[in-house]
Amino acid sequence: MSAASSPKSVRIAVGLLAPVLLLAWWQLQATAGDARSLAFAPLGSVGAAFVEQVESGALVFDAVATLSRSLFGLIIGGGIGIALGVATGLSRPLDRLLGPLLHGVRQVPLMGWLPLLGLWIGAGEGSQLVIVCLSAFFPAMLNTHAGVANVETRLLEVGRIYGFTPLQRFRRILLPAAMPMILTGLTQALAFTWIAAIGTEILLGTGGGLGVTLQNAQMQQRMDLILVTILVTAVIGFAVNQLFLALRHHLLRWQPKSL
Amino acid sequence: MPLTLLALWQIACTSGFFPPQVLVPPSGVLSELLALGRSGELQRHVGESLGRLGVGFVIGALVGLAVGAALALSRWTEAALSPLFLGLWQVPVIAFVPMLVMFLGIEERFKITVVAVAAFFPVALATFDAVRGVPRAWLEVSKVYRLTLPQLIRRILIPATIPAILTGLRVAITRAWLVLVAVELLAADSGIGQMMEMGRQLFRIDTVLAGVVVSGLIGFALDAGARAIERRATRWKSA
Repeated sequence: MSAASSPKSVRIAVGLLAPVLLLAWWQLQATAGDARSLAFAPLGSVGAAFVEQVESGALVFDAVATLSRSLFGLIIGGGIGIALGVATGLSRPLDRLLGPLLHGVRQVPLMGWLPLLGLWIGAGEGSQLVIVCLSAFFPAMLNTHAGVANVETRLLEVGRIYGFTPLQRFRRILLPAAMPMILTGLTQALAFTWIAAIGTEILLGTGGGLGVTLQNAQMQQRMDLILVTILVTAVIGFAVNQLFLALRHHLLRWQPKSL
Repeated sequence: MPLTLLALWQIACTSGFFPPQVLVPPSGVLSELLALGRSGELQRHVGESLGRLGVGFVIGALVGLAVGAALALSRWTEAALSPLFLGLWQVPVIAFVPMLVMFLGIEERFKITVVAVAAFFPVALATFDAVRGVPRAWLEVSKVYRLTLPQLIRRILIPATIPAILTGLRVAITRAWLVLVAVELLAADSGIGQMMEMGRQLFRIDTVLAGVVVSGLIGFALDAGARAIERRATRWKSA
């Protein structure tokens, strides 16, 4: 009998096996009572930490802080990225002018900018926001650029026949044609801002947020708190991504299904 | 064009528009790079970073290949492991850093583990997709020819999956580099990330900028090198 032909419930049960075994092993390590127990928090205390975090409001506070940081980055960084992507997609000279600088900046590992930003504007909220914006900027710009630069010429020719003004051409042809790529860029940007927000929070440890809690919990040797926060990170990341995919589906409902 | 930019940067600095505490000219960065190179410090930091990257990447990629192939080839393995795998995949690698610090401390094995984890997921996913994408007919042909498992892997699976897997490996090494620089900022006594962090603490903007340039060049070289390998390995496809 192969798994493909077996009932769904069996597959789900099999799928739960690995996580359950992992948790059981974890619990065993935690209750072993020697030095290991320090790192392996018992599952009961993980549950207690979750309740504690929810009741004190810390969890909601952290989640909102990290989410609003990512959202800020998505709007500012992604917005500038889309604008520059449109501009460089429409104008070859501008592309030649900015291209080398932007591609140079892009090569540097994102967090590698932190020490420099730390010297310039201090290792605090400002640096965090710049990094988060930067993380959204590149996917938004590159995809928008590709979308605008690769609009089918026959669509532009139709516009010429209708005597569209440049503004009409942009609104009626370029923007809708580039929209799938722009949304792809924003979806990537969203994932990156989420990672960048948590990363900068862990590295700088200031301003509150899920990353700050992770970092503080590590210093206080609170594995239970770390696990709770990681779990919340996973759930929020997944939920936000699903929400965005649904939004994309809605915005692109005029497109043929095959795309 | 990049030359014009460098010239502008140089002029902006030498004209006193930016004080040297804020921005040093390219010539300053270059002389700092040369000084770091002469003292051997640059080679030490870069060597340490690349060593970590290499070891961690090889481990993560090998495990990723094995897990990805196992998930794709056996429905039971997929049913058993994919929920756990997909759950872990939702977590940004960097969010695992505090947890790994608690388990492993901040020494070498922690950094290598982080690199391995960062490399693991893209490789595992790419391998899974690649193996699943092998046309059923090819596998049936292999059954007709009664190929053994090693033969099946060598003759059919590897050639059919290599392009997608190479793409996965390229994504993996660039991600691993990103994450490595981040954790070196956090905790290390050597490495390119640590060099920048030390520069920041000593208010040495030239050292920090030298680190930015070097880490950018390494990132670029890794990506370009991986792309070149991809092109070479997939040449037969277009023929």
